[in-house]
Order: sequence, then C-alpha cells, then structure tokens
Amino acid sequence: MAMIETDALTKRYPGVNALDELTVTIEPGIVGLVGVNGAGKSTLIKILLGLVSATAGTASVLGFDVASEGTDLRQRVGYMPEHDCLPLEVSATEFVAHMAQISGLPPAAARERTAETLRHVGLFEERYRQMSGYSTGMKQRVKLAQALVHDPQLILLDEPTNGLDPAGRDEMLELVARTGHTFGINIIMATHLLGEIERVCDGLVLIDAGRLVHQGSVAEFTAATPALDIEVDRDADRLAARLRTAGLTASVDGDHVLVTTDGAAPYDVVRDAVVELGLGLVRMQHRRRTLEQLFGPVGAADAGEAP
Amino acid sequence: MTEPAAGSIYDLGYRRYEGARAGRRRAIWALYADSLRGAFGLGRGTAAKIAPAILIGLALIPAVVQLAIGVLVPADVELITHDDYYNLVKFLLGLYCAVIAPDMVGRDQRNRSLVLYFARAISRLDYAVGKYAAMWTAMLVITLVPQLLLFVGNALSTDDFGGYLGQSWDQLLPIVATAALGAALIASIGLAIAAQTPRRAFATVGIIVTFVFTLALAGVMVGELTTEVTRLAIFASPFNLVEGFSAWMFRVPPSDPDSLLLAAGYPLAPYAAVAVAVTLLGVGLLIRRYQRVEA
Repeated sequence: MAMIETDALTKRYPGVNALDELTVTIEPGIVGLVGVNGAGKSTLIKILLGLVSATAGTASVLGFDVASEGTDLRQRVGYMPEHDCLPLEVSATEFVAHMAQISGLPPAAARERTAETLRHVGLFEERYRQMSGYSTGMKQRVKLAQALVHDPQLILLDEPTNGLDPAGRDEMLELVARTGHTFGINIIMATHLLGEIERVCDGLVLIDAGRLVHQGSVAEFTAATPALDIEVDRDADRLAARLRTAGLTASVDGDHVLVTTDGAAPYDVVRDAVVELGLGLVRMQHRRRTLEQLFGPVGAADAGEAP
Repeated sequence: MTEPAAGSIYDLGYRRYEGARAGRRRAIWALYADSLRGAFGLGRGTAAKIAPAILIGLALIPAVVQLAIGVLVPADVELITHDDYYNLVKFLLGLYCAVIAPDMVGRDQRNRSLVLYFARAISRLDYAVGKYAAMWTAMLVITLVPQLLLFVGNALSTDDFGGYLGQSWDQLLPIVATAALGAALIASIGLAIAAQTPRRAFATVGIIVTFVFTLALAGVMVGELTTEVTRLAIFASPFNLVEGFSAWMFRVPPSDPDSLLLAAGYPLAPYAAVAVAVTLLGVGLLIRRYQRVEA
C-alpha cells in the first residue's frame, strides 16, 4: 500500500495556487519533500493531516482518505510544525504527556511513552524544567518528541532544522535518520535544503509552484553520475569556458570547476586545459553529483547561492 | 566482559507502543481535564493559582459565614438566602470568568499549539466542546459549591437538621438548576469573547466590559428611562438574567425593593428562556470561531 497518494490535489488561495493538480504516489520510507519557500510543501502537509481542506482533488494517507477519515488517520500520524508551538510555561514532560493523551493514550502509558520519547530525542534531566529556558535545539527536540510520543506509523516534519545552528542541524538530521532507519517509522520531511535530503532521505519529491517537478530515489541521483571537482588557484571561469569548448559540461563554484561526464573522466583534457591557460592545479577529485546540480535553479535560488 | 551491556541499559532508545489506544473520547477527556486543572492554575506556577483561589475564596465567604453561624449560634438564623446569593457575588462571578476564560482559550492560540491538537485525534468541534465543558465546570465551582455550602449552613442553623432537610429538600433542585444555568451562561459569554483573541489583556477587558456595561446599561434603560422599549435592555444583561431566573426557579420574588426586576415588571420565566438562548448563542460563536481559526 502506498503511504501517500494524491490525485489532482489542488489548493487555491486568493491570488495564488498553493497546489496545482498535484498527483503523486509516495511509497513508505524516509522521503524528502523539497521545494523553495512557497512551493506548496506546508500546504501539502496540512492537507495530508486534514488541517486544511483541498479546493479540489483527493488525497489519502496510510489508506485513509484525508477528507472523510481524518480522525482515524490523525491517530496514526505525527506532525512537527515549522513554527513555534510549545507552551513555554510548562515542562517538556508535562507537555508531551498531555499531547500523548490528546492522541488517545491512557495516562499511565502516556507518561511512560513520554519518558522514552524524550530520552530518544536526547532530553534528560532538563525535561522537568519549564520550556521557557530551553535553547532552540531543545525546543526542536521537544517538537519532534510530541510528534513521536503516540508511536505513529508516519511522521510529517516541516523544516525540522529551522533556526538551528550547524551543530544543532547535524544532530537533528541524525535524530531524524535514526528515527526512520532504526525504528522503522515512515517520515516525510519537508525542507528547502537539498543537502538535508541527501543526508537523511531515501526518496525525494520535488515540487515547485504546487506542481510535481521530480520524484525518485536519492541514491539514484547522487550515485549514478559522478562529477569531477577541479580546484585551481585562480581564473576558474576561464578554465570552465575552455572545458566547455572541449565539449564538457562545466560549472563554476568559487575556485572550483565541476565537470559532469557520461563516460570516462576526462583527466587529460583537464590537464591540458590547465597547462594551456597557465593555471595552478590545486586538486582534482571525484565528487558525487549533488542534488543541487540536478535541480540547480530550484535549490540555488532558495539557498541564495550563485549557480 | 564487554562495555556495551551497560550502554544498552542507558540507551533504551525508542520502542514501539503496542498498548491501548482509547482514541477520540479519551482525547476530549484529556483536553477537558487539563483545561480544568489549568483554570485553577494546577500544574502551573504559583502565580497562576493566586487569582482563582482568591476569587473562589471570596465567593465562598457568605456561605462560610452562614455555615459558621449555623454551627456556633444555636438560633434559627437564615441571613443569606439561595435566591439572593448570586446577586451578592455577581461581580466575583464576572471577575472569575474574566480571569480564567482568557487563559483557557487564549493560551493555545498564543503559543500556536492549536495545530498540535487539530493534527491529533480530536476535531475542531471536539476542541470547542471540551473547552466549554471545562469552563462550565470551573464556573460550577464558584456557583454550585457555595450554594451547597449555604444549604448545609442553613440546615445546621436550625435546631432540627433532619427536619430542615425533610422540609427543604425541594430547594436542591433550584439550587442545582440555577447553578447549572448560571455557570453555563457566564461560561459561554466568557469563552465566546475570549476565544476571539490570543491576547489575554484584550480578552479580560472585553469580558469585564461586557458584564459591567450591560449591567449599567440595563440600570439606565430600565431604572431611569423606564419606557416600554428601553425596559427590554434588562434581557441584555447577563447578571440581571441570573437574578431573574434565580427568582423564577426559587419561586421567590426579588427581596430587594430596588431590584431592576421589579422596575422592569416582566414575568420571571422569560429570563430563563433568554439565558438559555444567550448561552446557546455564545457556544455557537465559540464553535464558529474554532471552525475558522487558523491552526
């Protein structure tokens, strides 16, 4: 059974189509939902949870129709919103236990699950303190814990690394990956950062302007086509231009030139070009093609990087 | 000997849950219980407990005084009557409502945690109903409890406790009925107003203004202008409605000669009817708010 199925799912807001006849079937696993801000990721998640009703089209999650079987469905899924949603004047333990009961767990089970889930996300003694004193990282962990506490079959995470520093981001991604891989919970993770998808997800669904752009497995893309990363001491632009005239696909990233090829790595062509231009070759290495390269315009525009 | 054994005890990690799932009913009950606890500041800091505790204490004073007299003075004194009680403590009822209603429905909007509820087993309607039930129960604490204490106090103040009970048991029905309707009315007005805004201050002021303004308005319209049309304003004042249906249910005309009920001159049953209508309107507005509020 497909984890999620949508058929011509459409959501119109005044002046904008948040989702435009989106038809997609998502199989179980850890799946990244990628797109720039405003691509329709959050809207899709909210429709899948039954929080927002679609203008047209249908959607089902875990076999439940989102419009008519919302109550049954919502007992089996967890949701971590993008925005702040924690009552800061209570402790993490109290809050998560309450949320477990709102998910239908009896009080004793709710307390037990709360302790386990908070430990899973890495909150220990501090879980008894008021959340007003928590760091952003701790708050994000509590948000993840409340999504997991009732042991859902599927969790929907909306930008789980939002607001985290690089270290916190690494920890959160590690936690998400562990939750999915080790404990077998299906995950939909919405993010605008392709790098996060590469690190955590098995599959990805790329949407833009409410439409499906691409769907497939992450490994298929990053492993299938190797890229050659050439670092020179200066004038990477000129090298790239020279390589293009030699029939290669080259892009520039600072002092690096990335060359993607279908066949054998063109070491000789690169060496000759570097010598010809009188540049210093710092290093030349294989790099997996990144999702950014595949979906350059989408990923780059949002990450604020030059293509 | 290897280390991992110790490590695995430490890291129990995540386990699947195979236990009972009670579903939606359990969820509504949990929402109700948590909201009710929150109304009295239970599970919160000390600051949250102070205001409700003081107001409940003040509302209990007349009943406690009567109880004390009943126990200490061996004479047949009935200082405070049931039909008069709400009139005596009406501002406390309003203030209590204005203190707890904004917290009960404003907190989740302020914290933006509504979405966590609606993404779970309960619906928007369930949420509104659960919150209303909690608010109604919280209001019963300040309406029904003093009335019951008063009943016991009055019974003790007579020479014949059993005789009083035998004679006055029929008072219990109006005691419970007035408390139930009064609590329902004030709870619905309070929540209907408070749910419209996440801002606690706006909600508190809104509730107080509603109760006091309508009372003052009725005073002027009925007491000063006294025309056929303006007299109707008494039905717009929740406090006067409570006074009216209390008099009707206890079948005792207002004892205070200055009572607006006498000035208005209407029969008493319509006060109960209007109170029910206003309660339903308030609950309707509350439900409508939660159908529409962005989660």
